[in-house]
Amino acid sequence: MHNKKLTRAGIDSLICERLKHHHVETCEDLLSLTPLEVMRLAGQSHCHSLQLLRTVSVACAPKIITAQQLWLQRKDLCFSTSLQELDRLLHGGLPRATITEVAGPSGCGKSQLCMMLSVLATLPRSMGGLDSGVIYIDTESAFSAERLLEIAQSRFPDYFSVPERLLETAGRVHLFKELTCQEVLTRVDQLEEDIISCRAGLVILDSVASVVRKEFDTSLSGNLTHRSNLLGRQAATLKYLAQEFRIPVVVTNQITTQLGERVPSSSSLSRRRSSVEGAGGEGSGYVTAALGNTWSHNVNTRLIVQYVDSRLRQIVIAKSPVAPFAVLNYTVQREGIRLEGNASQEMMSAQGTDPGLQPIRVRTGFDYRLTGAVAMTPMTPATTTTTTAGGRYDNTGV
Amino acid sequence: MHRTIASLPFAPSVKMKLTRAGFDTCADLKDLRPLQLCKEAGVSQEEALEVLQTLRSDDGVGVVSHVGVASVVRGGLTALQLLQKEHALGDIITFCSALDSALGGGVPVGKTTEVCGAPGVGKTQLCLQLAVDVQIPVCFGGRGGQVLYIDTEGSFLVQRAADMAQAAVEHCRLVTQDDEQKAALKDFTVENILSRLSLVRCHDYVELLAHCYLLPDLLTKHSEVQLVVIDSIAFPFRHDFDDFSQRTRLLNGLAQQFIQLATEHNVAVVLTNQMTTKVWNGQSKLIPALGESWGHAATQRLILHWEGTQRLASIYKSPSQMEATVPYRITEDGFRDMAPPPFSTALPTSSGPTRSDSQSQQSKRPRMEPRPSS
Repeated sequence: MHNKKLTRAGIDSLICERLKHHHVETCEDLLSLTPLEVMRLAGQSHCHSLQLLRTVSVACAPKIITAQQLWLQRKDLCFSTSLQELDRLLHGGLPRATITEVAGPSGCGKSQLCMMLSVLATLPRSMGGLDSGVIYIDTESAFSAERLLEIAQSRFPDYFSVPERLLETAGRVHLFKELTCQEVLTRVDQLEEDIISCRAGLVILDSVASVVRKEFDTSLSGNLTHRSNLLGRQAATLKYLAQEFRIPVVVTNQITTQLGERVPSSSSLSRRRSSVEGAGGEGSGYVTAALGNTWSHNVNTRLIVQYVDSRLRQIVIAKSPVAPFAVLNYTVQREGIRLEGNASQEMMSAQGTDPGLQPIRVRTGFDYRLTGAVAMTPMTPATTTTTTAGGRYDNTGV
Repeated sequence: MHRTIASLPFAPSVKMKLTRAGFDTCADLKDLRPLQLCKEAGVSQEEALEVLQTLRSDDGVGVVSHVGVASVVRGGLTALQLLQKEHALGDIITFCSALDSALGGGVPVGKTTEVCGAPGVGKTQLCLQLAVDVQIPVCFGGRGGQVLYIDTEGSFLVQRAADMAQAAVEHCRLVTQDDEQKAALKDFTVENILSRLSLVRCHDYVELLAHCYLLPDLLTKHSEVQLVVIDSIAFPFRHDFDDFSQRTRLLNGLAQQFIQLATEHNVAVVLTNQMTTKVWNGQSKLIPALGESWGHAATQRLILHWEGTQRLASIYKSPSQMEATVPYRITEDGFRDMAPPPFSTALPTSSGPTRSDSQSQQSKRPRMEPRPSS
């Protein structure tokens, strides 16, 4: 919008020429000037300058609609995640035209959730999908095509019993591997064309934090502002695309440790313990979503995933324009994410806390016991390499 | 009369020709005819006519702009007239009676209010609540007006607005007593509320600036609009600017425009701001974004913040109200008090006694619980 040339905004060509001499060529240049400056540069009187600004404004200003018009399209406002309780809390699913962030410690299931959403987006509308392509920008090489197909087949076995449908789903997910900040920025700037050519209905950026954190050392002065500006620009472009194409955008984020003086008061920690146990409750520091306070403003919805124990995990709705603060338990299975253990309703409240400071539980223990069909007899030391009487150490189930 | 030519709002070329022809002040140009001016200064006939017409209309208001005494001169107001005007304009309630009392009745119409807060604390929720509350009919204690919602962040979700509208309609239904209210309630439905909420989505600061230039005409055309919400003013200005001085200049220009809009068109302007981290003496604090100079922009400033899991609203800056901090919560019905206030017929106490007293005599204020029929 702001790149619109003045010549196309309905301005007299003589005035356009005059302004061009002063390097004022686009609507952005003109609107950034004060009326006095416009008077000077365009050689016009005060009221003519105001009229000039108004004409340019009419050319640039967005349309006004009423909320009623949006309400009439309400069937189309959300993207269902197929997790029923989550959809119910979010009033239908992930809202379109907004950025939803999934933050959490490593291995908790963020990429699994993203892959599950990719499968859902390719499904036909009758099954709750978007019947569209998916753009998956992968910065951590966490995307696995095999896992995608495994999720598809396990979640919808009847639909995907026909092999062509599986291939079609796989063909609709467009993967872009970007490994540096600059590449991600370039990709996001070109995303408009990619969305049109792939006919995408969902954009996933997994993850926004990894490239930024490895390239910006925030202890150096100036880097924090630079990083915030970069993230702000990315967020603005993503929101613009989300709005124009009416699609949901999902980004994933990592975690960081907050030290010392930002620990919230102990009374609130104990209150939180009843629903979500605090992580570093000793007062030494605690874990929260990365990228800071400014980034927390940029996302519209924040879902935090965290550990409860070695098997069970939780999704916390930390920030949402429609949903209250809520906690849902889930596990990662073959078919992706499965909500379970949510029988009691008391996990929902009108409380919550600053989504930028919400403590996140990290993995405290790992179950090192042998899995799979292994006899519990002690191993005989293998004298020859041909006998494989020992146990198999690979995870067969999960 | 002694105003110099250079200070007049004409095109620079015209001013140059006039000064070169020997005219220095307005007094020199008095009593001239257009054709005469045309020949003497070498300007075109239209320009000469424009100059003389501007001078003639300037004469009437010129005196007021130079002289400071307002009351006896045309165009000024006495404090008494201002008091009466403010009473007539009223406030927009927030449905959180503690906050309404602290604000002296609610968000004032005719002034600019800024709401700052950490992410997720409820700024957008408050804006949505105000957008619904301004439409409550006058016989229920509302303003019966319409609202223009300028969204720069994409956080306006119509489902939430519909929920809040439904809750407000329910509330009014429960407190309906007389026929006038029953009649007003027929018009106060969720569909009507949503159709009177105009929404604009601005993606960057240029679209925001463009829209703000067009606001005066818009508000003149639609005089029923009583609330303009900009959510948020910070987002478009926080990442596109390398030149901070240009940003400050543009923001100051916008601040002036908003104040002008508020006073001339009798609307309440509500702006939302974000918080930024400031590292200071080794500690980091959250302060309102957009810099120190932006602090002067709005007439009133509210800061919403977390205290553990409790949300608090503080009046940070106000020319007429005391600094206060009140708790609130966000429920599925919207922005509400912490706990239902004690049921009483007493008026909410505030630091502006006369205003709320006379207001309550004129209109019925919605209560949190329905009055038992007696």
